[in-house]
Amino acid sequence: MKIKLLALLAFLLTTVAYAQQPKTITGTVVDPDGMPLPGAEVKVIGKEIFDITDFDGKFTLEGVVEGDTFRITFLGFQPQELPVVDADDYAITLETDAATLDEVVVVGYGTQRKADLTGSIVSIQAEEIEKTPTSNVMQSLQGKVAGVQITAIGSPGDSPNVRVRGLGTYTSGTNVLYVVDGALYDNIDFLSTKDIKSINVLKDASSSAIYGVRAANGVIIIETKSGRRNQKPQFEYDGYTGIQRAQDIVQMANAEQFTTMAYESGSTADIQFVLNAMQRFGRSRINPNIPAVNTDWYDEILREGIIQSHSVGVSGGGESVTYSVGTNYFSQEGILDMKNEYERFNIRSKMDVDITDRFKTGVNLVFSNATKYAPENAAWFNAYFAVPILPIIDPSNTDATPIQYANARSLGYRSPQNPFPVMDFNENRIKIRKLLATLDFQYDIIEDKLDFKTTYSHNLTALEERYVTLPYNLGFTTEVQSAIRRANNTFSNQYWDNVLTYQDQIGEHRFTAMAGTSFRDEASNNFSATGRNIAGIRFESSWYLDFADPESFNDNVSEIGRRFYGMSYFGRISYNYLDRYLLYGTFRADGSSKFTLDPWGYFPSVGIGWVLSEESFMNDVGVVDFLKFRAAWGKLGNDNVAASAGSNTITVVSVPFGDQPRTGITSTSVFSNNTWEVIEEMNFGVDLELFENRLAVTADYYIRDTENAILPVYIPIVDRSVDRNSGVIRNQGLELSANYSGSIGNDFQFSVGANFTTLENEATEIEDQRGYLDAGSAEFRQRTIEGGPLFAFYGYERLGVYQNQAQIDADPIAVANNLVPGDLIYRDQNGDGAINDEDRVILGSFLPDITYGGNIAMNYKAFDFSMNFYGQAGNKILNRRRGEIIFTNDTNMDADLAVNRWHGEGTSNIYPSSAGMRKAWNQRLSNFWVEDGDFFRIQNIQFGYTMDNENMPWTRVYLTAERPFSFFDYNGFTPEVSDGVDRQTYPVPSIYTVGVNVKF
Amino acid sequence: MKISKNIFIRLSALAFALVLSSCSDKLDSQEGQLNTGDIDYTDASQMVEPLIGAYSEISSLGWEEPLLLGVRGDDVNAGGLGDQPLYAETDLFNYNKDFWMYNQVWNSHYNDVINMNTAILQIENFMEFANEADFERGQQYVAEIQVIRAWLHLNLARTWEDIFIITSNQPEAELEQGVATKEEVMQFISDQMDEAIPHLPDMRPNQRPDLTGGITRYTAYALKAMAQQELQNYQGVADATGAIISSGLFSLYPDFYQLFKKPGELSNESLWELQYSDYGTASGGEFYHNYDPFGPQNWTPARANASSGWGFYEPSMKFIGFMLDRNETVRLQTSVLFTPDGINAIRAEGYTVPGFVSNVTPSGDVINNYVRADFASGKHYLPSIQLTEGRNSYGGGKNFIIIRYAEILLMYAEALTRGASGTAMTATEAVNLVRERADMPALSGVTTQDVLDEKFAELAMEWGIRYYDMIRLDNYNELSYDGRTFTAADEYLPYPQAQVDALPLEATEVDRNTAMNNVLSTLNR
Repeated sequence: MKIKLLALLAFLLTTVAYAQQPKTITGTVVDPDGMPLPGAEVKVIGKEIFDITDFDGKFTLEGVVEGDTFRITFLGFQPQELPVVDADDYAITLETDAATLDEVVVVGYGTQRKADLTGSIVSIQAEEIEKTPTSNVMQSLQGKVAGVQITAIGSPGDSPNVRVRGLGTYTSGTNVLYVVDGALYDNIDFLSTKDIKSINVLKDASSSAIYGVRAANGVIIIETKSGRRNQKPQFEYDGYTGIQRAQDIVQMANAEQFTTMAYESGSTADIQFVLNAMQRFGRSRINPNIPAVNTDWYDEILREGIIQSHSVGVSGGGESVTYSVGTNYFSQEGILDMKNEYERFNIRSKMDVDITDRFKTGVNLVFSNATKYAPENAAWFNAYFAVPILPIIDPSNTDATPIQYANARSLGYRSPQNPFPVMDFNENRIKIRKLLATLDFQYDIIEDKLDFKTTYSHNLTALEERYVTLPYNLGFTTEVQSAIRRANNTFSNQYWDNVLTYQDQIGEHRFTAMAGTSFRDEASNNFSATGRNIAGIRFESSWYLDFADPESFNDNVSEIGRRFYGMSYFGRISYNYLDRYLLYGTFRADGSSKFTLDPWGYFPSVGIGWVLSEESFMNDVGVVDFLKFRAAWGKLGNDNVAASAGSNTITVVSVPFGDQPRTGITSTSVFSNNTWEVIEEMNFGVDLELFENRLAVTADYYIRDTENAILPVYIPIVDRSVDRNSGVIRNQGLELSANYSGSIGNDFQFSVGANFTTLENEATEIEDQRGYLDAGSAEFRQRTIEGGPLFAFYGYERLGVYQNQAQIDADPIAVANNLVPGDLIYRDQNGDGAINDEDRVILGSFLPDITYGGNIAMNYKAFDFSMNFYGQAGNKILNRRRGEIIFTNDTNMDADLAVNRWHGEGTSNIYPSSAGMRKAWNQRLSNFWVEDGDFFRIQNIQFGYTMDNENMPWTRVYLTAERPFSFFDYNGFTPEVSDGVDRQTYPVPSIYTVGVNVKF
Repeated sequence: MKISKNIFIRLSALAFALVLSSCSDKLDSQEGQLNTGDIDYTDASQMVEPLIGAYSEISSLGWEEPLLLGVRGDDVNAGGLGDQPLYAETDLFNYNKDFWMYNQVWNSHYNDVINMNTAILQIENFMEFANEADFERGQQYVAEIQVIRAWLHLNLARTWEDIFIITSNQPEAELEQGVATKEEVMQFISDQMDEAIPHLPDMRPNQRPDLTGGITRYTAYALKAMAQQELQNYQGVADATGAIISSGLFSLYPDFYQLFKKPGELSNESLWELQYSDYGTASGGEFYHNYDPFGPQNWTPARANASSGWGFYEPSMKFIGFMLDRNETVRLQTSVLFTPDGINAIRAEGYTVPGFVSNVTPSGDVINNYVRADFASGKHYLPSIQLTEGRNSYGGGKNFIIIRYAEILLMYAEALTRGASGTAMTATEAVNLVRERADMPALSGVTTQDVLDEKFAELAMEWGIRYYDMIRLDNYNELSYDGRTFTAADEYLPYPQAQVDALPLEATEVDRNTAMNNVLSTLNR
């Protein structure tokens, strides 16, 4: 009725000019395949006449006159404008939208037309996400978004490391902010890929500034699926199952190579151990100088794992209600041969209701119930250093119970080495239950112009951790007692957002203004206790602390609680004139109880855009469909840093006096009083579309400075550093992406895309007396120097290996240090004729200089094929597994190192001799251990076949290969090591699955 | 319509108001944190807590601290060859200022110093509100902490020669003043002890009713004596040690072997020991020092499943030979754990191995061969049968003696042989007291050399006492043993590189000692 009244009004106004008879027209909207499109919006331009297509794609417009123009819009399709002519019934086919410039993107507390954006935002739709078999949505973005570096993780149920535009903070908290339907998260492991409708990555500060103090590490907005109005219920099943296999397994030295190394080491101890092994396990028949044992430990601890996912959902909508409900089951076994798996069951429900024309409400629930059996990552490292001359089981180790695992101490080695006891006798179960509940109300104060929305959301996370150690004895005084560690972590975060939005158009001036408040209350509680000597430990039914020795709780119970409050006020204005000139601005004031002395911070942003292609002088440039220049500036805060104590704090301690415990206190002498880190970023971008929108190119350049960076400032002489706002970190880079889509004939469509990112990470200012910050341990130093990248590996530059005595004699450095052939040559950086700490240089950063990705997709009739690739270059990895030789030098090593060691003139110019590896000179951190992490990988290949006919539901079957091929030089399982230090990184497996998707 | 809109606007206005008021007052405090300002300083019964905290800090030694402080003497070698090569190089007097242990020992000592100063400030906060009796108690607590702080400075100066004296918990100003010479540090320690002594209880540590084993007046005298000894002011040594002896409170624990085991804990010989315990419980909270580095790497313990150690602290063949030459028995048996290989090595040196030298300890633990070393330290060994049932850590719960009466007696004796006068007893009497306990025949008319030999035999492996004696006396010959050559330049460790970088010292071309001194004197100007 209201519509009609307005229509009448509009009619009265317009008929003054035209004075034509109003009439009613109807039409049908279909997609290029001829399928009806329900839910498309049909609107008469300049009038308040509109309709939404029904189930059959039909619409009716009343009160139009000839000469009116109506516009049909539908997400994912090119909008179409048609004049009202003689005809009363219109058949309209919408073309799929290659350019998608008219698509609407979610920008935080609202939406914006993509064409109007002045910042850098990338949208990823569900189809692209669903190709990747993974528990974690972010994994499926790897290599797809320029400027977003995702480091895959192999351990089931764990989250990949995500970095948006480099590393802007030193101390901690590099977590991206995830906004899931309005609620804030720093981890989205509870979402199934099938729950998600879209992912919007807000890359630059002007885009994410609306999230103020939480946005420092980038913001990723995730919308879960919802129904559409007037949509028939659509049921969908999607499921896949497959196997995962470790790829690029590190080849270890075998018994023969290991024994050779031991003999060459010149260490009597090492030779003795080999002799001990021959005594204990016999001599090899083939070569009597090596023991008759040859264990390939990696081969032993690895297995193939099953992965599967099943989703069922239904979505739809009526006149005033939309809904989408679904459930998902996901399970994944780890490739470490122990109780190592992840299982998750999700349910979700989203419903929106128009209570009245103006008053709407929505409710959204996602519940996730997961169980993770975490791996014993020490096994990866143990398998590296366990000697191949040790069997898994040693029947002569009679003291060992309950299984006679071999113990390397039986051969004289310092540690038991065998990785199986920790794998067999530990079980790490974590139950993860997460609930997201959101309720919102929206009221249109002035219809289509001013509305008010209030949203309350609560996300509740309960982690129930149980770590069980079964008692075992490995002989040789290696006894482990039974223990259970329980930890209950509860995170209860509440958010209440109130947003007032006004949008209007006056002539060619279109603008939107938004103002709002956000209150947040984030509480966490960690309760943990450890009990030992568990009665009945062999039965899982008694894995409760009640059965532990009560004495063992003494000092083993802890509770930590935190509660932070935040209050924010924010606003946004976006303005568009003639679709040519764009102006954008936001402001946010944030208060946080983390910084008690000065809780308030203010974060503005502005952006401008110029759509050149809308200028009249560009009309003649036919190939250019769209060209926009944009520039934006913004400020963000990072409160994702440790709260500052504000004053000295107290710790309660206990110490014996005459064998009686007495309780005392210690207090800190230094404290931090920090404010948040402030990120200031400039972003310059170009969007270009050519050849009828077939080719879309986007380029962005940014300079992102973290000011007030919280750095661990070294307090001289005291064994500690204190986090203080004391530096500037700069990230800058270029992001390029291009997509081309086309077709040949009617049956073959294709698209090709590529993206390319550069990154330069640098600490531009460090207020520390030393001018640098040290991380890592003294032996494996990572140093941040003013002007250098964060956490750079810092050591000596290896030039080669001394080959012969003549070379030694000719080099005073070699003579001074009593070097022998087979030792490493280091560069004397300062030319003072000595190698000392002054000669250390930056050996590289774990952050890649360049990352790139791409995809090819093809459709031929019912067949579809897609392939993604991903690569990076310029990053370094510290091969800490090799480096640990400095602590224990009689253990095994990888075959590459053993085979290519120096063992005579001309045999190697990169690796020292076996004896040399045990020498302090060669054990300095150098690019002997710091290796290139460059790699190129076929990320995903998918091949599908779709059956779509009258007799059966729409069905697609598909085969997926995830990460089938990788190419790299690094001597490890995977060049993906998020912090660049590879000691016990869980290998990232390849996954091969078969799946089916059915809709009806 | 109109009405509902108004209600809605009012409701939202109310909501905004609620949000604002409920929230702004929540921004200025933090949950889950206890600040120093939250303590009730008027409650004097809590005044002891910062003192207990100070004892806790000093007892939380890193495993590397006693190792680095002690390893350079001719009584002990690094052992553990191949592992921690720079530690072994240190034992060979090849110093590397990048070695993490140097920095760690420097840092943890100064960190403890700062913590001591913080604890003093806390106690002084209580003293502001205290009545007279409590005020005096506060003075005693401060004096106890001053003794601990003096010991930390003593270790630092013995290791690095010229060091910073830090008496505040915000050390910037004291750092600006630069390092003090070793002599200044020793004078500072001596003066501090003079200040502390009147406030400290006149009793043995094991007589303390409030904190059993806590520091007393005589611990302070001992520290003073050590400082005076470093200053080679032997009269000062004789006076301070004489005060301890004359008190008549201290006596030698009769069983030398058990002195370093559980029965000997907090004996009448103890002037100060760090206390560790598991309170006799099989599980639950324990407060241990990590003795692993001292332990043999391979053994068959008398009590099953007791863990072995790392083999990082090996009594030297020189020491063992010295002891055999003297016909020492209980002191050799107590100081050294022998492996079968080690016993063979002794034979290879041409010694007749006496019966008590066995790879089975008097407590029944069997020491097996291991490749890293031939011997392990017996004074840091706790027999496996003395472990609490259910506990397997090497040396778990064993106390760590810092100062004992035998050292006091021998310091006194040395001072007297160097011409100092003392009324407590004669030098010969003092030495013979020590010898008697060790089943050694009495001497007559002891010389300085006799006393130094006695110190070697009695105090080997303990805190580098031997090494610091040798560098005090510039006796480089003794330290040039087993192929080592010791020179004056080797006396002190180079400052850790991280400290050179951090403190306002110019990292110029520095040749260990001399040039560093130039830099330091520049700093002192």
